[in-house]
Amino acid sequence: MKIKLIPNNEQDLSKVFIFLLPLVVLLSASINFLKDAFRSFSNVLPGNQVLNYGFLDKLSNQISFNFLFSFILVVTVVYLLSKSLGRSIIIFPLFFLTGLGLIGIEFIDVVLAFISPEQLLDLGNTSVLLLIKILLVGAFLGLILLNFLAKKEPSIFLSSQFLLGAVVFYLISLLIYRSEYTVMSDNFFINSMYLSTHIYVGCSFVFLSIFYFLITKGMQATLFSKTLGTISFWGYLFLLPWSGFKYFYGTTLPDWIENVSIYLSLSLIIPLLALIVNYSKTIATKENKEPVFSVLISFAFVVFGLTNVLQIISSISNVTPIVSLTNFEYSVRYGYMYSLILILIPFVYHLVPKIYGREFIYGRLETFNAYLLGTSVVATLSLNTLIGINSGFSWNAGANAGNPTIYGEGFLITWSLISTPYTFILFLSLLFLLSTFLFTLSTLKAIIGGSVTESETVSEISGDNDE
Amino acid sequence: MSELLAKVAEILGAPETLVQRSAEARAEASGNTVEEVLQSWAGGEAIAASAPAAETSVVEEAPVEEVVVEEAPVEEVKEEVVVEEAPVETMEKVIEEESVELKKESSLIFIAGVLGVAMFTYFFAFAIPKNQSADLVAESLNNEVAVSQEVLKGAQVYNDLNCQSCHTQNVRLLIPDSQNGKILKNKFADEVIIKNTGLLRLGPDLSTSATREPTNNEKWLTRYLTDSASVRDTIPHPNYDFLSTSDLDYLLTYLLS
Repeated sequence: MKIKLIPNNEQDLSKVFIFLLPLVVLLSASINFLKDAFRSFSNVLPGNQVLNYGFLDKLSNQISFNFLFSFILVVTVVYLLSKSLGRSIIIFPLFFLTGLGLIGIEFIDVVLAFISPEQLLDLGNTSVLLLIKILLVGAFLGLILLNFLAKKEPSIFLSSQFLLGAVVFYLISLLIYRSEYTVMSDNFFINSMYLSTHIYVGCSFVFLSIFYFLITKGMQATLFSKTLGTISFWGYLFLLPWSGFKYFYGTTLPDWIENVSIYLSLSLIIPLLALIVNYSKTIATKENKEPVFSVLISFAFVVFGLTNVLQIISSISNVTPIVSLTNFEYSVRYGYMYSLILILIPFVYHLVPKIYGREFIYGRLETFNAYLLGTSVVATLSLNTLIGINSGFSWNAGANAGNPTIYGEGFLITWSLISTPYTFILFLSLLFLLSTFLFTLSTLKAIIGGSVTESETVSEISGDNDE
Repeated sequence: MSELLAKVAEILGAPETLVQRSAEARAEASGNTVEEVLQSWAGGEAIAASAPAAETSVVEEAPVEEVVVEEAPVEEVKEEVVVEEAPVETMEKVIEEESVELKKESSLIFIAGVLGVAMFTYFFAFAIPKNQSADLVAESLNNEVAVSQEVLKGAQVYNDLNCQSCHTQNVRLLIPDSQNGKILKNKFADEVIIKNTGLLRLGPDLSTSATREPTNNEKWLTRYLTDSASVRDTIPHPNYDFLSTSDLDYLLTYLLS
């Protein structure tokens, strides 16, 4: 196995990225576990400037939603963009440097968080590097647009459509996060829009890009309907950025924007149905009969679908006051992130033989890990939803009794309802950490010790159809 | 071959690459060679689609990476399948359909659409309502609050510790709360105080903590912040015993303000 430090083309670059990707996922899962441990046992565990829930929460946001997200985004763009546009990436050296810069700056943010913890913002990013990050994402977007304009395929494939959407909204989210806080409602404007554009749109669009690639090329099936795919693309593009405001129901946000968010979130049923029909009809024609591969894709799809259902449920007007400002939003936030991580695993498994020319064998370990990952993620999301609803009912009961908030004995009752689910979540975090470790092990084992098979050539990666 | 291709392209008035691809698809479907297909088109005749069974099985047995379907993008495969299954068609019609497809999928229109939706969202969901809120506050009579430097420093310590990840300072808009109005809407405040209102409520809301027992008691609060288990061991709370004395004092001032 040879990995070039300075790659010459998409294949070399994909080699480097696919090797490092499981390690970044492992890092993210480790910090997440540590955060959950310090939430449930903060008064028992020894604390300091770094080892406390407040800092670990910010660090976990930075690693999961920024570092890991940008890593996956760049990997996906490098491999799928050229494939779906039917040509090699133009201005590759610049493309490589920009992608590397983007990942690098997110990593520097992680390092900076330890050196200067007060610089790290609540949802990740440090204020000092935000402007440079905007410039890099802008340059990355520019290069993608150039590649789009130079495409050789007559169609614009769904994977590349979703990738473009993800990068555009990545840039928008950074511009939003840099906005000035002048009045109280700005806290909710800035953070809800950042959550919607960066996590809801960003993670789900990268997920959908990989998803469409895997259910067609990976499963060797024919896409049922491009029209349905286009409906889900434009539907999500228009609706998802507005869907975050409803979680801040009853805050200082203007009433109209909370109501618009509720109605548009209800409309998420349309792209979701289009996606479900397209998926079920497409996989009916699959020729790849590998069960573990299908199970992993199905789990990812189920998690993504569940997250959308949670978004829709939370926009029912009787439910909205209960779920606002509670862990319910956590379920949605992590639902998009987990679906992305889950789809990443079959993507990596699919790419190992193509990129490295090493056979990937789905053994008992991979089968066990697929079920472990799927169940731990679904259970975590369900528990967060349960905590959210329990908390919501408690806060409402307190408010209806005349207290603007609950404290003292009131909070003790709430805590007794939510503390057990929190302990379960900690256990599930450990299982998730274990499964990411097993994923890393499977991938590295295949890359280093897998039997040699025929890999894709650069022209095959770029899907070059120019005869 | 290339001369023949150029000739057919000229007859049909279509690009050579398009003619080449269509001829290949037709050749695969009919079981003839590309050259034979091109020759028939040059003569204006169409070839009936009838793929021999033997050739189909060869494609099925070939390794995945070598199958034409694998290399061609998925939507493209569908187009070719249509050509395969169609009854006898003239070449002009096939090329006409593909040209329509080419016109449909313009990168520029797609990019403009995505950027348009992004700009629309940015302005109508964020920039315009955000400025409107600021204008409303600016026009209100009571738009300034005096906050001491100690309180501001305490707010900064609160923010650095990320207390707002568990505690809000924002009561709910339910019947009793609505009597208060939407809190703090009519006041300009320091950025860090705005951020401290929090986004997600795990622990109790702290907007009224300075007016109730026992959180309005400085001694109790100091003990709770540095050794929470000694005060209340049923609910986990981080111990901030690593804070400097001055930072702890600022934090207490802020929480009691």
